[in-house]
Formats: sequence, structure tokens, C-alpha cells
Amino acid sequence: MESFFVRYRNLLVLLAILLAQIIGLAVQVRRTASGRSTLDAADPSGVRLIRLWADAVVTPPEVLVHAGKLGTEKLWSDYLDLRGVREENKQLQQTIDRLRLEQAALLEDARQGERLQALVDFQQKYIYKTLAAQAIGSSGSDSSRVFYIDKGTGEGLAPDMAVITADGIVGKLREVYPHTAQVLVINDQTSGAGVILQATRIRGILRGNASGRLQIVGILKDDRIQPGETVMTAGGDLVFPRGLPVGVVDKVVLDPDRDSFIDVIVKPAAHLNRLDEVLVITSTAPRFSDEQQQDISTSEAQKGAEVEAIKQQKKASEIMAERLPGLTDPNAPAASPASAATPGTPNTGTPTQPGAAPVAPPAPKLLPARHPDRFTPGAAPSAGSGAETPAPPEAPRSQTP
Amino acid sequence: MNVLAGDHRRELGIRSYPLLVYALTPLAALVVQALLPRFLRGYAWFDLPLVVTIYFALVRRDPIQGTLMGCGLGLFEDAMTHHAIGVNGVTKTVAGFLSGSVGVRIDVENHTIRLALTFLLSILSSVLYVFIYRILLDLDLEWSWVAELMKAVGNAVIAAALFPLLDLAQIRE
Repeated sequence: MESFFVRYRNLLVLLAILLAQIIGLAVQVRRTASGRSTLDAADPSGVRLIRLWADAVVTPPEVLVHAGKLGTEKLWSDYLDLRGVREENKQLQQTIDRLRLEQAALLEDARQGERLQALVDFQQKYIYKTLAAQAIGSSGSDSSRVFYIDKGTGEGLAPDMAVITADGIVGKLREVYPHTAQVLVINDQTSGAGVILQATRIRGILRGNASGRLQIVGILKDDRIQPGETVMTAGGDLVFPRGLPVGVVDKVVLDPDRDSFIDVIVKPAAHLNRLDEVLVITSTAPRFSDEQQQDISTSEAQKGAEVEAIKQQKKASEIMAERLPGLTDPNAPAASPASAATPGTPNTGTPTQPGAAPVAPPAPKLLPARHPDRFTPGAAPSAGSGAETPAPPEAPRSQTP
Repeated sequence: MNVLAGDHRRELGIRSYPLLVYALTPLAALVVQALLPRFLRGYAWFDLPLVVTIYFALVRRDPIQGTLMGCGLGLFEDAMTHHAIGVNGVTKTVAGFLSGSVGVRIDVENHTIRLALTFLLSILSSVLYVFIYRILLDLDLEWSWVAELMKAVGNAVIAAALFPLLDLAQIRE
């Protein structure tokens, strides 16, 4: 028995290792309801651990190499490549003097331009919050189009965040480690993004093919789609915000598997094979500059103070109203509903019912005349003698209209 | 295979290397494999971990060592991708085992044989990769045999330059 193990030791070791790996593979693959096999979108914890180890081993040398490259470039450009700098410096000084004069004239135009530009670019500038990152390495396999960046969870990144450049979209974060992250590029076969053709407004799904080219799949034959048309993100995939540039239509080919469908080959706007610096969209919430934030908080504070002042004013006027003497006699008997309709009752200002007697305005209180004559209200002329007797003081009465 | 005694090792011409070479060469292969495609516009027509696996398995003439090194490097390579972990692991395990087994029987000093072996094992790795991905796992994978052929040629070219360099690092008795 011992001789068997010794004799076939190599083969047994090979079989054991192969078996372990095949079992490991089987754990990672899942069969969908449609009967297709697929990899788990989220890695099991064991698999993630292996990826984390690999990242921890391979990434530090990559970071060192990247830093070395930057350092060498800086050393070359700042110290070594300085031939003819003195002469160039003299010429530049003359140019600066001339430009200073021109600058004064252009400054005002530039300010106006900036204001207009700020208005035009408002959306693009303030809609997204981004974080700049450096590409430091790749997967090393052309069947897996991923690369690594030098930012991770420590810098606030999370899986499925969109990665872009100034030119267009690049991909999304797949795995995020403490200080690095893996970016799945949009030209990978497993990648996907919702896109829309700018002119024809046709929507489709963007994915990569085996040769790393971008193609929009699942589009019905349409003669309107022409090379050169701009492709934008549609915004329905919960990764890329809508309206980001993707690329332009390169050519349209028939779908080899389905007769009535076409594949639209897209030339990417971003240089996917030469990425150095990228931006990760960390939030799509509105972003304002410090100055704008200050303005907003100031205006909110002012608004709050205004509301408070109005409240105080209202309260003061109520107190004042309570303290001021009333225009009505508190000792006067309450007006009965019947008297309200009779002449002489004060007009409350409420509209009267149709057909009801019109309400008379309040009559002034008449004082008794000191020397009444025949013109004195209430003084009835004597029919016989003509002698004028003083009229007794009348109770106040109203005049009918 | 018998356990190798010192004399037998000398008879077979088994080479030894400083521990640092064993540790750093595979690591360097992984790092360069991850870095170079960025500068070559994504065309990774080479597989440095495979070349290193073949080299050490050949010169050590030890199938078990080749198997373990192939397994380790393959798993690390898989971990750097977003694919299932183990596909490259299996292919490089087989490649390491075969080159270690062949190393016992052929003249490993002959450069032509080394290059031919590297080319053939690269092709075998690609075949195994497609087999595992499409047949064993039943996953979608678009494939270009031209690219794989180019990769095999690239591996052979790299082997032609790398193997003599690594030969210089061996410990001579």
C-alpha cells in the first residue's frame, strides 16, 4: 500500500489539487431559472478573501512601480530635460510683458464669458460628486477587461459606482478593497450599460465583445442609425447617470444570431486602453461650491429670521389690539337678529339676502340743538299759531335712506 | 518516481536557485502581467506566470513542485480577474505537472526544446481554459483562437529571453 502512494505520488497530488479546484469552481457557479449557468454577482466570502490576498500581494509593487514612473517623469521634466531653458526664460519674460497688456483688455471679456459658461455648464458641474483616482494595474488577461485604481473603501468608494473620464464613461467598480478597487471596463463581455442614441432616441444595451469592442445589442433593424451618431448613457441601469457621453456609432452590422436585429458597433469616447486618471462618481446628489453653500446657509438663516420677525410683529399687533379701546360700547345691549334687519342697525358689511330690506349705514348720534328752529331735525312746524316751541330732545333715530 | 538522493539529483541535472529567486520571480511575473497590458494598449499576448511555471517545473524536474507553483500562480491570476477562481489554476496546474514530468525525460538545456514546449503548453492551457469555461462550467465566453495562437507565440518569445536570464541565477555546485 505504501509503495502505491510512493509510486503514484505525483499523480495523486495532481488529482487532489485538481479536484479541490474543480469543487471550488462548482461552488462559484449558479444555474439560473432559464437553465443558463452564471457566476454569482457577489463573490462568496472565501472567494473574496482570495481576491483580497491577491490584491494585497500584487498591488503594493504596482503602486511602487507607478510611483517610480511618476517620480522618473518628474525628475526628467524638472531637472534633466532643461537644455536651453535660460534663453527660453528670457523670451518668455518678454512674452509675459506683452501679454500683461493684452490681459487687461481681455479680462473683462473673460469674466463675462465665465458667467455665461457657468450658466451653460451648471448641470454638468454641479450634478455629480466625483473622486479622482489613478489606474495602477490591470487583470493581465485580455479575457478579463478590468483594471485597478489606487482608491478604495477608505476613500469612500463602494461597488457599482460609475467610473468616468472627461471624455466619457469607463466602467463601474466591481470589487472595492481598503485602498484599491477593481474597475470593470465597459468593453468587457460581462459588462453592461443602458444607452441611448442621441439623434434617433433608440435605446439599447451596451456591452463588450471578445475583441474588446463596444457594441449595442438587441436593436431592431433601423435605417436611421448612421455612423457618427453620438451615443449617451440612458440612465436606467442604476450605475451611470443619464446623459454621459459613451462614444459614437462606428458601424452597423447584422446580428449573427437573430435575423431582424442589428449590432451597433460603438467607438468609445474615452481611451479605454490608455487610462491613467479616472473619476469615480461617488454621489449624484447636487453638489455646490463652498461659496454657494455659504450663500444657501445665509439665505436660510435670513429666511428663518424673517419668519421669526413676522411672528413677533403679529403677536405685538394682537397685544396692541387687546389694549386699545374698542369702538363699540361694551354696555350697549346686544343687537337682536330682528333689529339687525331694521333700519338704524349698523352695517356689518355682510351681503344681504335678495329681497330683504337693505341695511342702513349707522346714523350719527345727534345732539339736541341749543336753539332749535324749524329746520332742526325732528322739530315739527306748528300748524296753527306758528309759534315756535322748543322741541323736546329726541332719542336718537336713524334716517331711512 | 523515486525520492531523489543527492547523487541522483546531480545525475539528472536538477538545478537549485536562491530562495529569493523562487519568491520574487513568480511575484514579478504576476506584477508585470498586471502592469504591462496598460502600456501595450490592452493586448496581453503573453502569460508570464505560465512561462515562469514551465521554467521552474522543467529545470527542477519535479512534477509536484510544478503542480504547486502552477496552482498558486493560476489562482492568483484568477483572483486578479473578475472571473471564477480556479480556471487558470487548473490550466496552470496541469501545465506545471506536465512540464515537470517531461523535464525528467528530455534535455532541458536545449533552447529549441524549451521554446517548443512552452508553445505547446500555452496552446494546451488555452484549450483547457475553453474546455473548463464552456463545457465544465457551461458559461458564455467568446473566444478568438488567433489571439490564443498569438499568445502562445508571445510566450515562446518571452521564454527565449527569460530562460537564459533565469539560468544565470542558478546555484552552481
